[in-house]
Amino acid sequence: MKLKMNKISVNKLIGLFVLILFIGALTAFMIPQTQKKGAKWVIPEKYKKMTNPYKGNKRDLKLGKMLYSKYCKSCHGSKGLGDGSKALQLKTLPGNFSTAEFQAYTDGELYYMTAVGRDEMKGYSKKIPDEENIWAIISYLRTLKK
Amino acid sequence: MKQIMLNFILAFLIIGSSFAQDTLKAKKSDKPVNFPWDSDLLIDNQTTLSQPAKTLDFIIQHRFGLVNQNGISDLFGIYAPGANIRLGLNYTPVKNLTIGYGLTKKNMYNDFQAKWLVIEQTRSNRIPVAVALFIDFAIDGRSDNAFGTTYTFSNRFSYFSQLIVSRKFSDWLSLEITASFTHFNMVATGRNHDNIGVGINGQIKFSPQSSIIFQYDAPLKIQGISEQTSFTETNAAKPNFGFGYQVETSGHSIQIYFTTANGILPQDIYLNNFNDWKKGDFMLGFTITRLWNF
Repeated sequence: MKLKMNKISVNKLIGLFVLILFIGALTAFMIPQTQKKGAKWVIPEKYKKMTNPYKGNKRDLKLGKMLYSKYCKSCHGSKGLGDGSKALQLKTLPGNFSTAEFQAYTDGELYYMTAVGRDEMKGYSKKIPDEENIWAIISYLRTLKK
Repeated sequence: MKQIMLNFILAFLIIGSSFAQDTLKAKKSDKPVNFPWDSDLLIDNQTTLSQPAKTLDFIIQHRFGLVNQNGISDLFGIYAPGANIRLGLNYTPVKNLTIGYGLTKKNMYNDFQAKWLVIEQTRSNRIPVAVALFIDFAIDGRSDNAFGTTYTFSNRFSYFSQLIVSRKFSDWLSLEITASFTHFNMVATGRNHDNIGVGINGQIKFSPQSSIIFQYDAPLKIQGISEQTSFTETNAAKPNFGFGYQVETSGHSIQIYFTTANGILPQDIYLNNFNDWKKGDFMLGFTITRLWNF
């Protein structure tokens, strides 16, 4: 009788374990699907009108690539496709920088998104206090267009 | 020795000015150079990088055992007893000034440190080098009986001060030279309380986030400040040589390296390191830092 009980308990345990594994596996597929596209950005007028004073500066482009690699790549991916190693942990899709939709943003709008930010896309003005460096990133973002 | 040092500094400045021409042509602005170093630490040394104001930096520094002592039996020192670790917190309250506290396993040193970036190298090359001052004051945290019969609290104190002159030569090469003074209030019989040391450290960047780093710290044998009649194998500390790999992300800096001294604290390295890198005395070590910006 005791042996039988033990056998039932073991079976139950195995069943529970398989169930947990199954739910775990399902969750792994579910997380990316629950990522939602970010809401429309609300950008103050003064930022919209800003232009990149360092446009076309090759040295800044090189700097921009370095900064992008250090600060942006982990979420946005090495080519800006939104496929960085941390991208799946986000609640919001990181966006695709190669699309015409993204490239249609003005330099000033991209400046606001990068420096001031919102929610998961935290502003980088504290980590990158020099404005020129933010502009260098934006110059680099323009090269990701396809 | 003085002559060697002078030649060394002179060569550094001459090479510096030739590289500087490129920087001058590239930009006639007088802002400080961008990212002279990837991290404010370089193995055992400080660099002339200062984090932005209001940055908190949590630092984990670890040294395993010597690679060449027990071979495979302790996996080249990784599982050897006597590993050393320091946990530290640094904070940058205002631009170019960093203060910090750390606790090291060896001798349970509680150390308080400050680094002031006095001069920054500028892009126009008007100022060709960056200059920083670094001080570290440590309190030995072992029990009283480690200090002999005539114990007083000040026996636990040790001091380190360092002048760092650095230059970012190009986007891939940064070098710095250091001169330091070390003092321990209490040392073992037959040893010196003071030391003057020099060092050279460098970073060779080969990708936007990765670089090769190296350091060489040499305690000088200056008879004028020595209390001993001569420098011997048992009273003169050995140079500390290290080299490794560094990777930098937005919130972390990770360095993995081979180094000679296991003291972690600079005053311990300059006065108490008897490992000899020429005899293969290296140990694996790593540093991980985590940055928070407020």
